[in-house]
Order: sequence, then structure tokens, then C-alpha cells
Amino acid sequence: MTSPIKPPEGNWWDQPINRRESIWLGIGVGWSVILFGWMSAFTRIGDQNPIGETYRVEAEDYRDKLQAYVDEGTDTEEGLVPPGDDVYIGAGQFYWDGLPVVLETGQEYDFHLAAYDVQHGFSVRPEHTLSKQINLQVLPGYEWIVPMEFDEPGTYRVLCNEFCGDGHEAMHGRIIVQEG
Amino acid sequence: MAETQHRHRLDVLGLFDNEYDSEGYRTCSVTGLEIHKSVENHVKLFGLTAVLFMVVGGFFAITVVGTRWEAIGLLSSSDYYIHLSMHAWSMLLFWIVFMEVAILYVGGPMVLGRKLPLTVLAKVGYAVMLVGALTIYYAIWTTSAPDQAPLLTAYVPLPSSPVFYAGALVFVLGVVVAALPFFVSIWQEKRANPGGTLPLVTFGAFITGIIAVEALLGGVVAFSSGLLWRLEIVTSLDAGWYRMWFWIVGHGTQQINLVAMIVVWYFLTHVVGGAEVVSEKVSRTAFILYLLFINMGAAHHLLVDPGISTGWRLWNTSYAFYGATFASLIHAFAIPAGIEAGRRKRGKGGGLFGWLTSAPWKNPMFAAPVIAIILFGFLGGITGVLMGQLQLNMAWHNTFATVGHFHSTVVLGTTITFMAVVYFVIRTMFLREFVSNRLASLQPFLYGGAMGVTALMMMYVGILYGVPRRTPEVVSNIPGTDFSLSAAEPLFVVFGLFAFVAIAGGALFVALAVGSLLFGKRIDPAGNGDLVSDGGSAVASQTMAPRDDLELADDPNDPVHAYEMRGTFVLCLLFLAAFVITYVLNWYLITQLWSIGA
Repeated sequence: MTSPIKPPEGNWWDQPINRRESIWLGIGVGWSVILFGWMSAFTRIGDQNPIGETYRVEAEDYRDKLQAYVDEGTDTEEGLVPPGDDVYIGAGQFYWDGLPVVLETGQEYDFHLAAYDVQHGFSVRPEHTLSKQINLQVLPGYEWIVPMEFDEPGTYRVLCNEFCGDGHEAMHGRIIVQEG
Repeated sequence: MAETQHRHRLDVLGLFDNEYDSEGYRTCSVTGLEIHKSVENHVKLFGLTAVLFMVVGGFFAITVVGTRWEAIGLLSSSDYYIHLSMHAWSMLLFWIVFMEVAILYVGGPMVLGRKLPLTVLAKVGYAVMLVGALTIYYAIWTTSAPDQAPLLTAYVPLPSSPVFYAGALVFVLGVVVAALPFFVSIWQEKRANPGGTLPLVTFGAFITGIIAVEALLGGVVAFSSGLLWRLEIVTSLDAGWYRMWFWIVGHGTQQINLVAMIVVWYFLTHVVGGAEVVSEKVSRTAFILYLLFINMGAAHHLLVDPGISTGWRLWNTSYAFYGATFASLIHAFAIPAGIEAGRRKRGKGGGLFGWLTSAPWKNPMFAAPVIAIILFGFLGGITGVLMGQLQLNMAWHNTFATVGHFHSTVVLGTTITFMAVVYFVIRTMFLREFVSNRLASLQPFLYGGAMGVTALMMMYVGILYGVPRRTPEVVSNIPGTDFSLSAAEPLFVVFGLFAFVAIAGGALFVALAVGSLLFGKRIDPAGNGDLVSDGGSAVASQTMAPRDDLELADDPNDPVHAYEMRGTFVLCLLFLAAFVITYVLNWYLITQLWSIGA
């Protein structure tokens, strides 16, 4: 009856369940609902969601778009000051095109992320607090527009955290956030 | 004379020469199962081969750790990516999948007391898997421009050698072929006993097999399209499309590990720990939930990808409202409760935890799965759910913490469990004593403890310092900039030291396994009584008597579900508390970030 290596005999489906096991089942269901509910609710009420519009884009077209954006922006010693609320970043072996860029706190920017060649990983953290870090996948063929608004000034460091070929470890860029 | 007669001429080491009756069967003195030699010999073949691949993977663990611990800085970056690929494919695929085929044969025909049908297919599958594995090794080792080391994923459009994609395809097809005899044995059993219920272990193995085939067919799509693209027969392949198909096999194979491992947990805790099934209904329902929902887990890898909708990600990553997580919570109770109730029933457990403290901890076939259950649950299971949350995934994705997560699942969980299977096969099928019982008792604790700390350090440096995975340097030096993640250096010292201790623990396992096969004393077919739970007296080991201990479990007037499970309940509540605390901490970290997303 109770061996896992023998067929159960009789009406095993109707055997009673130990009370503590039943309680645990209830707890399990409850916890599962909480996990789902919070994740789902946070997409509505939360400020940190990996959500944004995506468009298909050819690498060459994206390169042109980014170049036009760079031409329109202002080149400073610190980096590029974008012309508007859009920030274009192109990932290539092994560099971040469009970086460094100079942004302001308290302003929402639309980050455009796309890759020129292979898959890359957009991994950002302020250099003074390494635990505040996020990672987004960057794919060739897709332009992903993810809004971001920084609340703390500082230098944010961008690494590539998707293996993009031998030399991947040297892929580094900066986002300079100034008090807005 | 008698011995040489049933030894195959190629069997120079005498590893396949057990005595069988005229029908080809023998009775196992530990499980009481009627074992046919066709099953036993193939289990031995796949199991032995798995251990050899672990030796290869273990060697590359040394060089990979020696590089990631940048204070040592063993390899150049191009060598590192090649070595990392060798480590990944050896451990995650070859060691584990060869073991899984062996486990399917145990869970199916062996538990059912049947012959292995279509042994030709088992051998063909074995050969094809072997050819695939060696082809992959060759492709990785001879990587040259424009190709890059494939790592595990060979993400299109980063080119890997076409030989690699071909090898991966061959390997995956070989596994499907090797699994066919298992399915046929289930079909034969159902034909022979139309109304009968399969034993729980067989049922679980069947679910494992179905999940495996789903995963492997995903691999056929991913690797064959990768091959066509690399040979330029197909000119463009969408990167996002490849990711989705790759992860059906990439994560799917990990779900095979999970379910196979749970099947082994039920099996070993019963055979050597005296556990019983406290509710067939509940445990089987949990396996059904896996069947329906667990493959959705592959979506975890796409949570921070462009191009897929939020709803798709929420639905899949939650396994449709956490259907598979709930299943795991069920097993998390049912397996320890089986040990608790089974031992209480035989008078082996007083108080809250007497059943646990009096358990056969010196027996590695009991200790290893229990260590695996605990470490898998607390480290692997919890972190899997955390990083599988859409938002938390932003902090985990592609950091070293991810590596810590899957070393908690596939190493602390699967590998430690499968080590116990290898020990069990050595004692009960190869019928060899361990060369050292003391070291065999120690090994799961040494390996599990050291690997547990290693995995924790990986998670800390990934989450708290944002150290990326798959990179030979960034902690002390990022080429071309003065910025680095050197704040993580102290934790890397702990990581490196414990990783090397873990590798030593793995080497000890291999030494014990191979040493026992070559030099271990032969065990009388009626021996091994010490393996049976609570049958460990010297007298009992000489007889078949210990089986009686387990027979007690069958008394219908003394149902196991009526026994106390309060120790398990307390343990599960502790687990839940750890789950909630780490959940809240992870969410706290994510809400400290700047505002991201629409």
C-alpha cells in the first residue's frame, strides 16, 4: 500500500490525507496565489518593471537612427547630451554605441536598446552602490524602448553580461547622471 | 568455472557477471525486486559512462574556478570560454543525462520486474549519445575564428562551429532513442495489467520521460535550425526565436533533472530510509502538475527579453499560477513525511525529530538524498522562484547569482542525488563493497557543504555586486577602464576556497566509485542487508530477513497516513519562513532602484 516501488492496492485514491499534509497543501496554494498576485500587481503599481514597446529593426537602420540622434545631440567633455527624452544605445562587439551619455535626475527618458551584431546584455549599476543593478537582454533585430528615470546623480557603469564573443569582458560604457 | 561462463568476453573487469536464474532474473536482497539482467547491465553501462563524463567535467571545474577566482587567473579569456563550454556540456548534459537514462531503466522495467525491451535500441541510443558527446567535445576544443566557444547556449547569431550544432543534434536524438525501450516497457506493463496502477516510482519516471521527450524535441528544433543557419542554408535566424526554442531544451533538460531527482528521492528514502508513501493521491497529483506546467519554466530565461508581451511572461513564468511550484511544495512535504511516518511506524522516532536523528546518516545512499533535498529546497528552489519573478529577474539575469542558482539545483540537488544512485548501483548491482565505508559516509557531507557555500557566494557576488556570469575578468580588472567590481574580491576568496574543497569532494566520489568497482570486495548476492533501513545488524546482513522490516509497511489496519507528521510540518514551516524572508529581501533590493519600465 505504501511502498513507492509496488503498485498501490485497493482504492488508494480515497485514502484519507493526514491533517498536517492537508494544511500544508492549503498553505502551498495560498503562497502560490500570493507569488502570482504580487508579481502581477507590481506591473501596475510598481516602479521597476522590465516592460516596454518593442519594434523590429534592421541593424543598419538602427545604426542610422543612432547616428542621426548623435548628430542632433550636444557633444560635451562628459559625453553626449541627448537632444530630447530619447536615449539611443547600440550594442556591438565589443562596445556600447551612444555611450557615454549625460542625463539628468528627475526626467524620464526612453532608452532604446538594440544590438548591431550578436546578443548582448545591458547591465547597469551606479559605481558607488554596486548592489543597485539591473540587466536587460539586447537582441539584434529588436529595438526595445524601456523608460527610465534616475533619482540619484552619479556615474552609472554599463557592462555586457551576455557572452558576445572572445573580448566580451572588455565591453564597458558610462551613463553620467547629473542633478536635474 | 561457473563464474567465467556467464561473463562476456569483453567483460575483463568482471563488472557484468552477476548470477541469474535460467530466465535471466535474480532477486535483489535490498529492494526485493526481481531484476532481469538486460535491465541491470544497461543501467550499469549508462551509469558508468556518466561517471566518466563527470571526471571530464570535474577537471574543467578546476580550470574554470581557477580563472573566475581572479587572484589565481589561470586561463586567458579565449581558453576560459572553451574550458567553460567543456565544463557545462560535460556536467549539465553528459553526466546528468546518461544517469537519467539509467534512472528511467530502473524506474521502469527494473521496478516492474520486466526485461528491458528492444535492447538494440538502448545500445544504439547509447552509441549515438556517445558519438554526439565526443563530437561536441571535438567542436568545442577546436573552436577557431570566426566561431566562438558555444558555452551551453550557442546563442544565434554568435557563430559556433557547425560541428557543434551537429553534435548537439546527434546527442539529443540519441537520448530519444535510448528512452524508447523505457516507454515500450511501460506500454507492455499496461498491456499485461490493463486495470493496474503503476508503482509511484514508475509513474514518476513515466512523467519524467514525457517531459524529457518534450524538451528534447525542442532541442531538435533549436539545434537543427542553428545548424542550417550556420551552414548558410537558412540565411537569417531570429535571435529571440532561437532563444525560445533553445530554452525548451536548455531549461527542459533541467526539469528532467528535477523530476528524475524526485523519483530517486522517493525510491532511496524508501529503500534505505524506510520511508513510505503517505498519500499516493497527493504525490501523484504533484507529478501530474509537473507534466502540465513545468515546461513553462523555460520562460524564466526570457523575462528581460524584448519582443514578448508582459502577459505571456507572467503566465508562463508563473507556470500558470505556480502550478509547478505548488507541486514542488507538495513533494517537499510528502518525502520527509514519508520518512517520518515510516520510521515512527516502526518505532524509530520519538519526540519531534527522533525519526530524523535516528536515521541512517552514515549510509551515503540515505544521507546524500536528504542533503540534496534540504540544499535543493533552501538554495535552489527558493532562488528559482525568486529569479522567475518578472521584476526580480532584472537583478538576477545573467549575473553570477544565476550560476549560483543552477549550481544549487543541478549540483546540490541533482548531482548529489545521482551520486547516491551511483553508490546504490555499486552496492546492489555491481555488488561491490566500498573501498572505504568511512570515506563514503563522509563524502556527501563534504561535497554538499562545500558546494553549498560555493553556490551561496556565487549568489552574493551576483546580487550584491552585480558580477556578471561568463567572464574571465571584471572583478579586479575590466580591460580598458579603471572601473572594476573589486569590492567583491573578499567574497571571491571564500568562493574559490570552498569551490576547490567541493572539487576535492567530487574527486573523492569518483575515487570511491571507480576504486570500489576495481578493488571493492564482492558482495554475496544475498548480502547487503545493512543497506536496508534499520536492518543494519551483522546478523541481518547475512540473510534476506531485513526485507521484513519493509513488509511491515503493508499492514492495512495500520495506515501510514495516520502517523504523526509534526516534525515534517515544523521543517516545512521553517522552509516557508526562509522563502518569505528571502522573497521580501529580494523585493526590497529591487524597489531601491531607479524607476524602470512602462
